[in-house]
Amino acid sequence: MIFNQIFNSINIGLIILDRDLKVQRWNRWMESHSGIAEEAIIGSSVFDAYPNLNNPKFNRSCKSVFSFGNFCFFSQKLHHYLFPFKSTSYFESFFEYMQQSCSMGPLRDEHNDIQGLFIYVQDVTEVAIYEHKLVELNLKDGLTGIFNRRYMEVKLREEFSRCKRYGGELSIIMFDIDFFKKVNDGYGHLCGDFILKSVSSRISSIIRNVDYLFRYGGEEFCCMLPETKFEGALQAAERFRNAVMDMENNYDNAIIKITISLGVAGLNEEINSAEMFIKKADDALYKAKREGRNRVMPMS
Amino acid sequence: MQEEIILSDEEIAILQEIMNISFGKSAADLADVIDTHVVLSVPFIKIMQVHDLPTYFKDHVKEYKTISIVEQKFWGRFKGDALLVFSSGAGKELIKMLQHETSPGFESDPIDILERETLMEVGNILIGACIGKLAELLKDVVTYTPPMVVVERNYSDAITENRYDPSSTAIVLKTDFCFDKGGVSGFLFLITSKDSVTWMKEALRLFIEQYE
Repeated sequence: MIFNQIFNSINIGLIILDRDLKVQRWNRWMESHSGIAEEAIIGSSVFDAYPNLNNPKFNRSCKSVFSFGNFCFFSQKLHHYLFPFKSTSYFESFFEYMQQSCSMGPLRDEHNDIQGLFIYVQDVTEVAIYEHKLVELNLKDGLTGIFNRRYMEVKLREEFSRCKRYGGELSIIMFDIDFFKKVNDGYGHLCGDFILKSVSSRISSIIRNVDYLFRYGGEEFCCMLPETKFEGALQAAERFRNAVMDMENNYDNAIIKITISLGVAGLNEEINSAEMFIKKADDALYKAKREGRNRVMPMS
Repeated sequence: MQEEIILSDEEIAILQEIMNISFGKSAADLADVIDTHVVLSVPFIKIMQVHDLPTYFKDHVKEYKTISIVEQKFWGRFKGDALLVFSSGAGKELIKMLQHETSPGFESDPIDILERETLMEVGNILIGACIGKLAELLKDVVTYTPPMVVVERNYSDAITENRYDPSSTAIVLKTDFCFDKGGVSGFLFLITSKDSVTWMKEALRLFIEQYE
């Protein structure tokens, strides 16, 4: 009687299945999120209402509960959910379905024989959203939405050592918006931000899925091109330069034209650290600046 | 610290026999659950001071470059800590072996999450199978905490010195396992504290009585 009240008022989903995986109990939480009343589902196989559960992992878990009395855990990270329920989060609808952390275990009779199993379902949607946001904050630049410098250092070092160890091509392009200070001084910092965002999104739209675009700092960016030869990177840089030059940046009814200068470096035997690799591209970028801007300069 | 006799030689022999039987049963049922045969070696029982445990573990796993560990606490009247140590590369082999179905939205998650979760799932099943059968023979019922996992770490930083209360004595039950598919192998250590000993002695006595 008391346990029944707890069973129905607790804020997690509770299900009891018999050895044939037919539903024996379905608490109120399950009723309200699934829209299926307990009377309607009792006695039918859980797979009738949720065919998605009829997969190897779920079946394996049930078997291990019945054979060993195991407890099995279905984490949100890997499974996202067992029961496709509508998300209840107040946040923007980041996940289509409620994110769930679930667990199952044995139910024994007085002789310790396993007669069925229980499943409990916890709604962890909000935690999953926070976690996702934290990861984003850690990797991405808040203003432009492209990857940040910290991630660049990690990623470039990883890719650098991979190429050194297993061979393969790797190139980077460092680029910088010409006379960016003039944009800020002439149109204000909000306009400067607008330009940074426009350039980031324009370049993002023309790179490949495997390439990474990072904001290096201020108005300086870095694009990492895995499996790309130096010559290929020079062509890509030229495409970047043309794309930015052709942009019509409409800010407050004014069209602001901008250009970028670019330095390109390709990995070779001489380059023995990720830092040196960046410096090669950076030196080329400064050379491009010195020689009149709006141009692509290969590393020396 | 002086050595104390916790279990007599006879009790150790019975425990060994019980483990042989229970692990034999686990292996048969495991084949049904994860569709591969798991070979479990004859278990080895050792009683030692807890502060010697880290060195003992390290001695066993030192031929592995990196290891993954799944740890789960279990409690019934038989209670303690199960540590399942996998050889390097085990996670990736297990993913292949279980042909993990991808769940919706999975594409954005990195492979190491899949590896972690797979190790956790297989670890959970393997630990549960061994302990469950052992407890069953000793007429006990155990429950478990969710598994914790450490993936592909160097063995010397994966096993830290401060995991256990150094003043207590541990009964370590060790078995080697290997999967006939995929070449995955490792060790299972069950560490129980002295608290379980009184119950265990009684359970061992009752077990042997059935045959006398």
